[in-house]
Amino acid sequence: MKKPSKKSEIEFCTVCRFHHDQGSRHKYFPRHKSSLSSLLDRFRSKIADVRFFLKNPSVLRPQEQSQNRVWCVFCDEDIVELGSSFACSKAINHFASSDHLKNIKQFLSKNGPAMDCIDEFRISEADVAKWEKKCQSFGNEDASFEGSCGQLSGTSNDIHTKLAFETMDRIKKVPAHHINSYKSNDVMPLQYNTNEYQISLSEIPGVIHNGSYLNMDDSQFPLCDESGNGFGEHSIPCRSKDYSGNGNYCTQENYQVSQDKKQIDGSYNPPGVVGMTSISSSHSTDAGGNVHSGAPPPWLDANDGDFSSVQLNQSDVARFQAKVPGKNRKLNPNRVGAAWAERRKIEIEMEKSGHVTKSNIDPDWLPNFGRVWQSGTRKESRKEFEKEKRKLVKTESISTESEPVKIQPYISKRARRESGE
Amino acid sequence: MSYNSYAEMSYLLKTLTTKEEIDRVIRDTIDEVLVLRFGRSSDAVCLQHDEILAKSVRDVSKFAKVALVDVDSEDVQVYVKYFDITLFPSTIFFFNAHHMKLDSGTADHTKWVGAFHIKQDFIDVVEAIYRGAMKGKMIVQCPIPPERIPKYQLVYKDV
Repeated sequence: MKKPSKKSEIEFCTVCRFHHDQGSRHKYFPRHKSSLSSLLDRFRSKIADVRFFLKNPSVLRPQEQSQNRVWCVFCDEDIVELGSSFACSKAINHFASSDHLKNIKQFLSKNGPAMDCIDEFRISEADVAKWEKKCQSFGNEDASFEGSCGQLSGTSNDIHTKLAFETMDRIKKVPAHHINSYKSNDVMPLQYNTNEYQISLSEIPGVIHNGSYLNMDDSQFPLCDESGNGFGEHSIPCRSKDYSGNGNYCTQENYQVSQDKKQIDGSYNPPGVVGMTSISSSHSTDAGGNVHSGAPPPWLDANDGDFSSVQLNQSDVARFQAKVPGKNRKLNPNRVGAAWAERRKIEIEMEKSGHVTKSNIDPDWLPNFGRVWQSGTRKESRKEFEKEKRKLVKTESISTESEPVKIQPYISKRARRESGE
Repeated sequence: MSYNSYAEMSYLLKTLTTKEEIDRVIRDTIDEVLVLRFGRSSDAVCLQHDEILAKSVRDVSKFAKVALVDVDSEDVQVYVKYFDITLFPSTIFFFNAHHMKLDSGTADHTKWVGAFHIKQDFIDVVEAIYRGAMKGKMIVQCPIPPERIPKYQLVYKDV
């Protein structure tokens, strides 16, 4: 005996992302199961990333804070790492929280048939405690969190070295004493620019760049990707050896510096670059131009040859098309006599190519013609004409008088027919 | 066949005298309107007609060809009869070896009887025929206003 399927209210399944009226049975349907499994897989990979940072705490560079977001599927919220000094610290704390656990249970009861995978999606308290210890140990080593780079490089020797740590390796070179602690937690789009730093090293210690930065168009400094907005008040964290204090410098120095840019050694890799991979500008100078100098982009340069050839092709096509004398490039297949025309064209082609063709046109060939007084199809008019012609031949053979070829402007048909018959 | 000669006078329009020539012209004109004038070069109306044809042939050269047929020759009589030509000059239009009819409000739709008044009339008619033929129509409406269409009487055999 089959239970009649009861209609329940329409609900929205967040996993499958559609509405259904299957009620509580929905979570057992194969489609739901597959979408759920893919969703959980995705979340598992996110958790795995966070777990990695759990084992290897690393510093979270302020400029990357806004990029480090995790969407917790169970809690339906975005975890943004703002104001946290270590990577994924907020995420770790979240995943360990009891709220999160509650939400997991709720989610799985609603959507998932099995409750055995809860632990995969949360972080245990013990792990969190270990992690916090590690963080503290980092903090104790050096006042600045950048100084933890040296430690970090040590801990990152395990196999799990990920991208985040590749950049850390570069920071390895940084001697700790060069780094001034960057206490400010304000998220700045750019702390400083490599070239700015180079300027500061060579001529003036510490230069602030503000909106006037954009005026610098020297091609040697391709890293001028972000102008310092409102930067004036903040000190540049990376200092040269000579410089140890904050300072606000007037923009005039900035301008003067721009003229001295060329003296700066392009390949200098300033120490204490906080989380910034300084591309040595010697690479860029070879290009001979950048956006600020108004040089054309490299892809256009590379395609110079291609463009000309492309244009040539287009003009060729245009010329070819212009050759078609006033006809449609693609002739209407429904036009009058289309079939005949196609056949005729083939015949002409064959003639041109030298094939033997029947050059003798049938002397009795007549074009398709609808006669004046006919009332049927054109074929009928031709038949009628053929008939007349036969009769005419007969009479001609009888009488020597040729058919009245009196082509006068006014011939009565009757006379013509009579004489023809 | 120098239809498309540019320094033309009426004598540059080819005059056909045999059925074979006519056939060849008809069969060689592909995807273009073929204008066959049946008439006599000595006739005054024919002369006027030929003049207009000669002046216009270059303008329509991209989609039309013009040829003159001398009705006095023996060989073409079969066509004279076949096309029911009784009045001169008579102009018949072909497209891809198919005859195109022209409804100009007269009794005979199969041909154009008489001369055109102005060059533009002829060009308009040829264009109308070309457009209709390209669309697959075998009869087209005459674009010329009736006052410029030559009137004539057509006599049926029994009348």
